Amino acid sequence: MTSPFDPHDVTWSRVSPRLTAARLIPASITFAVPVVAGVVLALTVGRWFWLLAGTAAVLWVWTALLVPRQVRAIGYAEREDDLLIRKGIMFVSLTVVPYGRMQYVDVEAGPLDRRLGLATVQLHTASPGTDAQIPGLRPQEAARLRDRLASRGEARLAGL
Amino acid sequence: MNGPGAVPDDVRPDETKPDGIGLDDAAPESVPDSTDSLSWRRVHPVTPMVRGWAVLGGAIFIVGQQTLDGGPGEDRGLIGLLTSDFWWTVPLGLVLVALAGFGYAALAWRMTTFAVGEETVHLRRGILFKQQRHARLDRLQAVDVRQPLVARLFGLCELKLEVAGGSDSGVTIGYLRDADAAALRNELLARAAGLKGTPASTSGVVPPPDAGGAAPAPGGTPEGTTTSPADGPLLVEAPERPVLEVQPGRLIASLLRNGVSIGFALFTIGLIVTMIVTGRPQIVFTVIAPIIGIGGYLFNRFSTEFAFRVAISADGIRLRHGLLETRAQTIPPGRVQAVSLTQGLLWRGPDWWRVQVNVAGYGGDSNAETTNVLLPVGTRDEALTVLSLVLPDLGVEDPRAVLDDGLSGDSRRTGRFVGSPRSARWVDPVGWRRQGFAVTGRALLLRGGRLYRILNVVPHERTQSLRIASGPLQRRLGLTSFEVHSTPGPVSPQVSHLRAADAAALLGEQAARARTARAHAGPERWMEDGEHEH
Repeated sequence: MTSPFDPHDVTWSRVSPRLTAARLIPASITFAVPVVAGVVLALTVGRWFWLLAGTAAVLWVWTALLVPRQVRAIGYAEREDDLLIRKGIMFVSLTVVPYGRMQYVDVEAGPLDRRLGLATVQLHTASPGTDAQIPGLRPQEAARLRDRLASRGEARLAGL
Repeated sequence: MNGPGAVPDDVRPDETKPDGIGLDDAAPESVPDSTDSLSWRRVHPVTPMVRGWAVLGGAIFIVGQQTLDGGPGEDRGLIGLLTSDFWWTVPLGLVLVALAGFGYAALAWRMTTFAVGEETVHLRRGILFKQQRHARLDRLQAVDVRQPLVARLFGLCELKLEVAGGSDSGVTIGYLRDADAAALRNELLARAAGLKGTPASTSGVVPPPDAGGAAPAPGGTPEGTTTSPADGPLLVEAPERPVLEVQPGRLIASLLRNGVSIGFALFTIGLIVTMIVTGRPQIVFTVIAPIIGIGGYLFNRFSTEFAFRVAISADGIRLRHGLLETRAQTIPPGRVQAVSLTQGLLWRGPDWWRVQVNVAGYGGDSNAETTNVLLPVGTRDEALTVLSLVLPDLGVEDPRAVLDDGLSGDSRRTGRFVGSPRSARWVDPVGWRRQGFAVTGRALLLRGGRLYRILNVVPHERTQSLRIASGPLQRRLGLTSFEVHSTPGPVSPQVSHLRAADAAALLGEQAARARTARAHAGPERWMEDGEHEH
């Protein structure tokens, strides 16, 4: 049996592997603080703080192992009438957004994203439940996708 | 054809101005626009009186709350002040607040003007920060006529047009006299429906809209309720047929058969017992806040759902309800995005159901609990009747059998519903037999919940987007959850733990079905001739 998350007629576009760095750098900063603090406190105050440093370090390593896999799992595909977005390894999800349902498209890039040459495209429908976010696109690809989605949405526009 | 001069001015509040001109001096002119040809109208001049009370009431409420929070028997707060030599500051303060409130409301009234154009409604308001809002009538999602208690004393009500744009996106026009509001609502609905010539302005008398014959009310009686503002021409309201009414007795019974009420009663009994046993009645003050909260919730449900009446007209479904604040809602055809029928455990005996809907304009409302109700409580037959009003054709030969299956059936009964496989009992031991979906020609039916039964109905053309998801445990058991995204509202259609192959097939087919249905969906203007083919 094929996986329901891999329709046979779909070729997935992958996002940039640099997204791994874009996600690991903030995560590392978040975890480095408790690790350093834990080590310092363990050496100065008491041994119990090794627990804090150890827990944070384990989570750090776990994240470092997980994020590259997560990034590789993100895929999107432009079909004739809708956009497919696939995410996750352990918790897999597949979202189908018809172009005609699109209300607007966001392209966003934070300071770290810009430095790494990445951008995020997000589609919005009339439903707040639609989680149609494609992170880690190269700026040209993001712009191309944005224009393409906008033009396709216009061609298939259908109110609500 | 209507020229630019044929703009309507039929529901003008007659007291506001001597003739059609002379209003624009009050209207904000800083932003030039192309709406000068419109006839701008003011809302009723008593409006500041109604709005001002809200400020005073709010002030009294805050002061009262502060006093209560100070605790009883303490010589502080308002009671302390009232018994002191400075008691006169309290009435003085209230008078100042009232003056400010009424003054602001009067100024706001002066700055508020509205106009109805051929395709848009215009609203100008704001004292310091001017706002001009143009709402397209073909995007209209619902029209509500709201009448708070104070406004009812003056015979006024407020009109609210809902458009799909998140919270605070509607156009609120208030207050108007009852007849004016009804006439304005009819005019807006007629224009939104695409009846261009209906509210002729200059001819004085309007012939009955001929489109009433083109799109008759389902089973509608030919008599049209005519409302005639004192100085305006006749405007014919689309004839409506009453469908059902919720009796107060049943509403009370339904509220008593509610988990909240039962919990409330048990809590109160426990409290009284504790007070008697410990002999310290002041315990009640420690739990006064939750008691007020729960009591307020129940009273709010009772008050808003009191005298709930459902009717159908060519302009869509009409709901009227309310005890203190009455509300008359009109939801035009094709505006309902999703419907849910729910039944709590205690409603199972009398087989009562509650029907709620997602309507794009209502989503952002903070009181979505009360505005999105299509039927607060009703028997199975009544609930299905109401469902048939918003979704007349389910697209199956035996809709009743399919719906019965969706309401109370489970996977032991073979039918149209595709249920969860047996392996789902490991992740959903209680409800797995109820999980299931059925596809009909016009809608997708999703059922679930063994104790709290839910049946969600989503018309194919109203699907926004679709999602399937699966966690590690689910994948090991070969299960996948399916979710339809709808506009904001109380209905969130989803079905959990389907067989992976079923979910994948449903995802693919539903995307195609939604596309086909959209292409053949009725026009936004529900009475316009012909269908828009895309």
